[in-house]
Amino acid sequence: MPNHMIILFVALPMAAGILSLMLHRFHRAQRVIGVTALLANVAIGVWALATVLNPASRILTSQMGNWPAPFGITIVVDPLAAIMLSICAIVCFAVYVYCISQLTGKHQGGYFHPLYHLLIFGVQWSFITGDLFNLFVAFEIMLMASYAVFIIGTSREQMRQAYKYILLNLIGSTMFVTCAGLLYGQLGTLNMADITRIAMAGELPATSIPVIALLVLVFGGKTAIFPLWYWLPDTYHTLPAALGGLFAGLLTKVGAYVMIRVFVMMFGLSGPVVDVVKPILLVSAGVTMFLGVLGAVSMHTVRSILAIHIISQVGYMIMGIALAIGLGIAVESRELAVAGAIFFIIHNMVVKCSLFLCGGLIHEHAGSDDLNKIGGLVRRAPWLATLFLIAALSLAGLPPLSGFFGKFLLIREGFGQGHYVLVGFALATSLLTLLSMLKIWSYGFWSPAPPEVQYVRNPAHRPRTAGGIAGIALLVIVALTMGLGAPLYVKASRIAAQSLIDPTPYVAAVLGEQYVGDETPRLAKVIEHDE
Amino acid sequence: MTILTSMMVGVIFAASIYLMLGRELKGVCMGVFLLGHGANLAIICVSRSPLGKLPPILDGSAIGQYVDPLPQALILTAIVIGFAVQAFLLTLLVITWRRSTTLELSELAVEEPE
Repeated sequence: MPNHMIILFVALPMAAGILSLMLHRFHRAQRVIGVTALLANVAIGVWALATVLNPASRILTSQMGNWPAPFGITIVVDPLAAIMLSICAIVCFAVYVYCISQLTGKHQGGYFHPLYHLLIFGVQWSFITGDLFNLFVAFEIMLMASYAVFIIGTSREQMRQAYKYILLNLIGSTMFVTCAGLLYGQLGTLNMADITRIAMAGELPATSIPVIALLVLVFGGKTAIFPLWYWLPDTYHTLPAALGGLFAGLLTKVGAYVMIRVFVMMFGLSGPVVDVVKPILLVSAGVTMFLGVLGAVSMHTVRSILAIHIISQVGYMIMGIALAIGLGIAVESRELAVAGAIFFIIHNMVVKCSLFLCGGLIHEHAGSDDLNKIGGLVRRAPWLATLFLIAALSLAGLPPLSGFFGKFLLIREGFGQGHYVLVGFALATSLLTLLSMLKIWSYGFWSPAPPEVQYVRNPAHRPRTAGGIAGIALLVIVALTMGLGAPLYVKASRIAAQSLIDPTPYVAAVLGEQYVGDETPRLAKVIEHDE
Repeated sequence: MTILTSMMVGVIFAASIYLMLGRELKGVCMGVFLLGHGANLAIICVSRSPLGKLPPILDGSAIGQYVDPLPQALILTAIVIGFAVQAFLLTLLVITWRRSTTLELSELAVEEPE
């Protein structure tokens, strides 16, 4: 398929969203559209992955309207984007299968489905966009859809939390657009490849450093790193489990993805930027993972444990990013650190999401997800128990499950670079993660049900869980392949990492070969080219 | 001109932060809207002073004498997005008011009697 096909990553969800909005009275048709579009999305995701990784790393680009690169809108699928797109597509499909069988009430109404597609539209656009301003627009679309999904069928508490979520994200977006404007003022471009070229040539003006440092704040807020994470635990646990899973699986990971793109690829070797950003990220990574997991250990409902856990997991991703930037570090070590971060992100997208969905089914079975009020689910729902256990142990990182390999890479590079305190935090966090997962396991599944739980003897309550189990099973199978087939995934992550650590092919693919290492101002060059 | 505009940006940002520090949702939302306008003005600053420059209409002869058109395009997009977000937030405010008859965050925290 030709390069221009990558526009399908945004065109398909947008078309599905619009179509299913027009059919908002016909719920069955909406579901058919949803399943078809999401399956097609998985197909193009896998196609892009296969094209980009095989035989060597290729980069697919498409210039919108055929405007030459730094001026027009560029969309790019490089190995990192392709990995994210394919995993994202699988997660979206699995959650959708879960949603159409489990969600009730207003979430089954006509407007949920279009919003779901538009959310995916925003997420996928932010994966493939080639410039910072379009990244802002993609964020806005993603967030608008998420705001609206947030307040479907709201309770008063949820409404209050929705304000917190919306307002904080709005402030973040406004700061982002300000940063983008100021960067444009100093660099004369917003194209990621062009900025990368400028940074690689060491031509960043000193005044752009504070603006770039401000970007840590913007993306850190979206990713929920310390000290910007306070909005997340309050908001995510008020959502229905399926949506909590989708948000947990996608939204914070988009933030982590963008941080990799910006701080590793664009500014990873630019001395002045790294001097400012690296210490912030290192400290923040340690504190984020440790405080997050302490919060999780102290919580007592399934959803809030999982929600706070998101933060703790984000810490590992930031750790990988922090280890990968800076001068004077061996290329191999930087590469492995990014590969670890990428592997960890995709592992986390799948596993975290499946755990949230399990939480939803626990609620469906027991009528509550408060750990003091449930129990004995291992007899009641053996399939759910099995899937939960696999996902929980993957999250905790027991070999040979998927979480192990991401953490292994990160911790190894941490040791190699001599960040012993951070590694200590990472290991302690891992242990506490296991503890908090076992807490859900032993209270919810293993221990006998407390006497006030009536469902065990109530034959009238027959929970409908077949579709939900199918969705979770799909995710858990993917997670299992990540663990048992880890070498494949690690290899893919390494290819992606290589193209980030040495972005020359990326710059060449977007701007054209003749611009690499070239110092002339862009405008003059293109005019010359036209003549 | 640029100095004047950048001072305006500072004033607008300060005012919006003051508004956002309040306890009442209406004021907080207004603060966020104002922040958006401040950001737009900041981007306009970036295109430098327009005095003595030509409008950006290409005939290929006078490169370097145009006002940079890109920040204007950015702002246009940002305004449209900001407009959508404002409409959404105002609608949410109306719904909240109808349901809870309060826009104080602390009162919204009180659990609904069921």
